[in-house]
Amino acid sequence: MTEFKINIEKGTSLTHDAFMRLRKNNMAMIGLCILIFFIAIALLTPLIAPYTYEGQNLELGATPPSALHWLGTDVLGRDQLTRIMYGSRVSLMVGFIATAVALLIGVLWGAIAGFLGGRVDAIMMRIVDALYALPFTIFIILLTVIFGSSMLLLFLAIGAVEWLTMARIVRGQVLTIKGQEFVEAAITMGLSPWQIITRHLIPNVLGPIIVYTTLTIPSVILLESFLSFLGLGIQPPQSSWGSLISGGTETMEEYPWLLIFPGLALSLTLFSLNFLGDGLRDALDPRASKD
Amino acid sequence: MFLFILKRILQSAPVLLLVTAVTFFMIHAAPGGPFSQERAVPPEVIKRLNERYHLDEPIWQQFVGYLGHLLHGDFGPSFKYPTHTVNDLIAAGFPATFELALYATLFALVIGLTAGIIASLKPNSLQDYVPMSAAMLGICLPSFVLGPILLLVFGIWLQWLPVAGWGQIAGDKILPSITLGAAYAAYIARISRGSMLEILSQDYIRTARAKGLSNARIIFVHALRGAITPVISFLGPAIAGLLAGSFVVETIFQIPGLGRFYVQAAFNRDYTMIMGCTIFFAFLIVVFNLLADVLLVLLNPKVRQEVSGGH
Amino acid sequence: MLSVKNLRVVFNTRNGTAVAVEDLSFELKVGEVLGIVGESGSGKSVACYSLLGLIPMPPGKIEKGSAEYFGQDLLRINEKELRKIRGHKISMIFQDPMTSLNPYMRVVDQLMESVQVHHAVSRKEARQRAIKALIEVGIRDVEERIDNYPHQFSGGMRQRVMIAMALITEPQLLIADEPTTALDVTVQAQILSLIKSLQKTRNLAVIFITHDLGVAAQMADNILVMEKGRVVEQGTTEQIFKHPAHIYTQKLISAVLTTAKPTPSLAEITEPPFLQIKQLKTYFPQVGGAFIKHLIRIVKAVDDISLTINRGEILGVVGESGSGKSTLGRSIMRLVEAQSGEILLEGKDLRGLPIGELQKYRRNFQMIFQDPYASLNPRMTVFDALAEPLLVHGLANKGTVLAQVNELMDDVGLDRSFIRKYPHEFSGGQRQRIAIARAIALKPKLIIADEPVSALDVTIRAQILALLLELSQKHHLTMLFISHDMSVIRYLCDRVLVMQDGKLVEEGATEDLFAKPKEIYTQQLLAAIPKL
Repeated sequence: MTEFKINIEKGTSLTHDAFMRLRKNNMAMIGLCILIFFIAIALLTPLIAPYTYEGQNLELGATPPSALHWLGTDVLGRDQLTRIMYGSRVSLMVGFIATAVALLIGVLWGAIAGFLGGRVDAIMMRIVDALYALPFTIFIILLTVIFGSSMLLLFLAIGAVEWLTMARIVRGQVLTIKGQEFVEAAITMGLSPWQIITRHLIPNVLGPIIVYTTLTIPSVILLESFLSFLGLGIQPPQSSWGSLISGGTETMEEYPWLLIFPGLALSLTLFSLNFLGDGLRDALDPRASKD
Repeated sequence: MFLFILKRILQSAPVLLLVTAVTFFMIHAAPGGPFSQERAVPPEVIKRLNERYHLDEPIWQQFVGYLGHLLHGDFGPSFKYPTHTVNDLIAAGFPATFELALYATLFALVIGLTAGIIASLKPNSLQDYVPMSAAMLGICLPSFVLGPILLLVFGIWLQWLPVAGWGQIAGDKILPSITLGAAYAAYIARISRGSMLEILSQDYIRTARAKGLSNARIIFVHALRGAITPVISFLGPAIAGLLAGSFVVETIFQIPGLGRFYVQAAFNRDYTMIMGCTIFFAFLIVVFNLLADVLLVLLNPKVRQEVSGGH
Repeated sequence: MLSVKNLRVVFNTRNGTAVAVEDLSFELKVGEVLGIVGESGSGKSVACYSLLGLIPMPPGKIEKGSAEYFGQDLLRINEKELRKIRGHKISMIFQDPMTSLNPYMRVVDQLMESVQVHHAVSRKEARQRAIKALIEVGIRDVEERIDNYPHQFSGGMRQRVMIAMALITEPQLLIADEPTTALDVTVQAQILSLIKSLQKTRNLAVIFITHDLGVAAQMADNILVMEKGRVVEQGTTEQIFKHPAHIYTQKLISAVLTTAKPTPSLAEITEPPFLQIKQLKTYFPQVGGAFIKHLIRIVKAVDDISLTINRGEILGVVGESGSGKSTLGRSIMRLVEAQSGEILLEGKDLRGLPIGELQKYRRNFQMIFQDPYASLNPRMTVFDALAEPLLVHGLANKGTVLAQVNELMDDVGLDRSFIRKYPHEFSGGQRQRIAIARAIALKPKLIIADEPVSALDVTIRAQILALLLELSQKHHLTMLFISHDMSVIRYLCDRVLVMQDGKLVEEGATEDLFAKPKEIYTQQLLAAIPKL
């Protein structure tokens, strides 16, 4: 048993390295904190919201921020903080679920095309190229016009747009990794394709997928807000940040806080996600680990 | 080169056909659409529609008929305004939209490239952080937040610039162009910074420096040609986003452009207008993607040689 | 002419300050060739780049020293003054001619630019000079080719263009940074003799940076040996080679392989032959075209190769880039599929094996790859990498695997305490040891080694070759050893096979082939080996 007594040095994995780098990135960590804060609020809204969502106070009307209503009230005397909190539930939910849809389709599509290669890859990527050329935002508008707007439609439609880039990124990564010598080494060692995929490919393509997922969420939130701003997304009585901003725009001359606070909530969320995504990319970028 | 362009045009045709088919059949499926008989539409409209779309024929014959008109550049009459054709509306709205998109693109290119190049020259210094923070701001302030804020500050509070309109009062084109272009300026700044950094670390830049060239010559003659490539491949597909952005900007600034017409048509359920505009937008997107592709080939001598068959 | 004194260059990185060059001093006279020799990380390139202000600052910083060029201190003058010297009085050529020319500019424009920046001449005059310079470096059909882009030239031709560009301004000093490292050996020989003859006719001073002592011996009057940023020895070329004083110089010189294989392998001739390859053909169709994709041509990477390897023998395959030697190895490994032919390992045709059976049978033939940075999965520890093949093929179970991995670590001379570390924590040489351990883990009958030492520094290369030799004797390995380097082949292989353009040129026992090469191509390859 003597040989087990030697002092084995523990290595630092790339993941650990990346995590340490991310922790040193202040902007990314601030982004992460803001994001966690917003998610917590969104989850707890029904419990902690100061007023009810529908509660009107027509006599009060629109008032600027005060001790009673921290972010003011709208023309119908509804508490804006409460409305923004409920709006965050919609915006974040659309962001996460539609990204999940995009992730699922995109990763499967890209991984299959990249791994199989050859003619299958060519055909699958041609389809992606062709779909890329379609005016998707316009199609989504078309869909909402024809079938009326619903959450489910938004999830599917936005997910259907965003998966294309995901598929391209995953395929590119798979192709790069597949051409690496360590994958060839795994082939020559007699590993089955399944073992190669799970042990060698997936751990190495995970990084870019995580980064791109983080960066997809803000663009999905943006797309939803854009549609809601035009009045084609979330329909009343529900509201998202986009529809709150749209409402705020109409009365911004008299009641600017109705525009500024929902805009701030949206921008802060986009900020935090983008900074986190950038931070993750810097941390996971293999080129960064060389210096 | 000619063959390459021809090939790309031929490749684009199925995409346009697909867009047309999807749009056509989706509208057909719409409850209360122009092709369903349930709606109480004035008899003269029904008559015109019937004349035009042969509603009594099977659906695929209607589609072929529509395609035939399309090939002649005819989008048919408006469903909502029987006195107008879709062509009239597009012709009325497109110039403003085109001009807006053009100014926004120019704004984005000038600001974005300048910021990106400046940032790339001294990475991780103040000269890098300031423009890149501004770029992050541009990405996180969507046009429908930035637009109203600009309008509020410069139009209403400071009263420096007009708040609405297009080409009526001097300076009324400034705010909409900036609103639409800001996000693209931000993206271009980030992309060009990245590609400049990559190119500046190439061996041939070291060669240029070893030759004793001035920094300006190294940047503009040697580095920029390679660094501009990713910006152009971004700009091609970006036209789709730019058009969508124009919906918002034209709504905010009340510009009588195609984007605003389109949003109005969506609310009014002016199906033929929606259909026509969608196809028209798709056509524009395809054309600009094609232009970007051709430009990319022209810029790279190696690809250019491969495309033209090579010797 | 040039006098460098006490130069110290540091790089400020996140992990503290790294000294790249420490206390470097040397003198250079007009018409003298100084060789600066060292391995990667020795600071030899950084030292020369810092003279011309070509290191990135920050993170680089010149902390101390002076570099007087005809009395003018290059380290003190401002950027504008320095630019007048750079490319005018002192020119440079670089390692990789593929990436050192601007791919977006015509060759002629790049040459003319050099002239016009430093001399007030007309475009027409500049073009004339460019043509003259290209003729001087031996480019044929200059008038036709001058308007081409760099990608239309081969590697050797591009390096000639680089040289023309460096000399077009009539400099007094040429700094050549590993100018032949990226080139094939026969091309290397041509470029070296071109530089030598231009140096003589123009009475140029040259600083020749190289990792290759043989090249330095051939080119330089005086030599400066650097290790880890410091000069360890300095003297005339003769002194350095005949009486190396410093232990590192001695190590470098002994790493230059000039000898035959120390002990020949004990090869057994068996029937059927251990490995027999019959008429192997691996073709790659090349499709392209502007309009409709069609077959442009067929690249015959391996064109009708037959060979045999006896049990316990090391067969070398030598050739330049594009000779098909790697494709041959990869075809045998079935990493690429051959068009036709037979690969018989102990009489069993590897090409005929169905996928499932092939996976199991792969334990009998293993591969060592060229790039130890790419051939190990960055997310697996050494233990995982070595245990994987053992567990997959059922040669170990959870209880025995650690002992087996430890044994492999001993075999390749790595400390057992390293097994929980990741590849990026090792040096290139250590990584190649891990890769070798992985290849021998399954106790394969045949090992194919594809340029396993060409990415390594010379002293490390000597160690890895010694390891391979030792292992081959200890485990009685049979090996197909692919290399572009004749001296490596000579050191390791019992028999050699010379390949060119996918075809077999010559075959024979190593020492016979070195003594009496029959084919012209083999003679060229042998003549191109730099001699000490």
